Amino acid sequence: MIVAIGCAAAFSLGVYAVLTRRDVIAILAGAELMLGAANVQLVAFALSRGGDGAVVSSFALIVLVIAAAEAAVGMALVVTAYRRTRRTLVDEFGEVSG
Amino acid sequence: MSANDLALAVTVTVMVAGAAGTVLTSDVPRLVISLGTFLLGVAAAFLVMGSPLLAVSQVFVYVGGVLVLVLFALMMVRRSGDEKPKVATRHDLGAAVIALGVFVLLAAVLGPVAADPTPVVTAPNEVGAILLGPSLVAFELVGVLLLAALLAVLVIVKGGEDS
Repeated sequence: MIVAIGCAAAFSLGVYAVLTRRDVIAILAGAELMLGAANVQLVAFALSRGGDGAVVSSFALIVLVIAAAEAAVGMALVVTAYRRTRRTLVDEFGEVSG
Repeated sequence: MSANDLALAVTVTVMVAGAAGTVLTSDVPRLVISLGTFLLGVAAAFLVMGSPLLAVSQVFVYVGGVLVLVLFALMMVRRSGDEKPKVATRHDLGAAVIALGVFVLLAAVLGPVAADPTPVVTAPNEVGAILLGPSLVAFELVGVLLLAALLAVLVIVKGGEDS
């Protein structure tokens, strides 16, 4: 119960960060909050339901790697967008391409 | 309350405190420190739940990798003329209502069914046996994904240089 409530709170804070931050890097930090909270909840829920610890850990490890790859690509996009436009605020990006 | 429940409560509190700091602060160094606190809290939660491999991976990949990446990105995109870098935020009642709704939904759905976990200590070699046994396809696909992400980062950054 404690883990479920805590992870729900951390996930919701991540949602709030993604919705209210204007800086792209802070939005990515919010996404990291959601991914971390979801991963902890995944492990806790599986273990509380009698899941095999090794299987749960391998699943969570794969999620962790995918999240890290997402962060790397996201940061590359941010840095490239900044170098091209000198902007980092999301509402300053008026077009998708060009 | 058992020692394990207490340890879980402490780690979850650290997680939520770090998440709150990440969301509420407008100061860049504080944002990075808060995110680091949250990620360390996640690692501690994995450790308390009996998965030292996950905890170490979390510290290496996130605290040692992603956090440094965030720091580098922040340093690169901040102009040196900025006196004190601030994170632009537009606090909004609608966003707060949506986030609160997500919290209520998750807590109402997961709270009653997700009892706190009993720690099952998992040795790293057991995880390795799973990854190189039944989950071999997933393991290899993750390797391909990482390679694709690496190439994508190179292409994206190179494309930015050309223009």
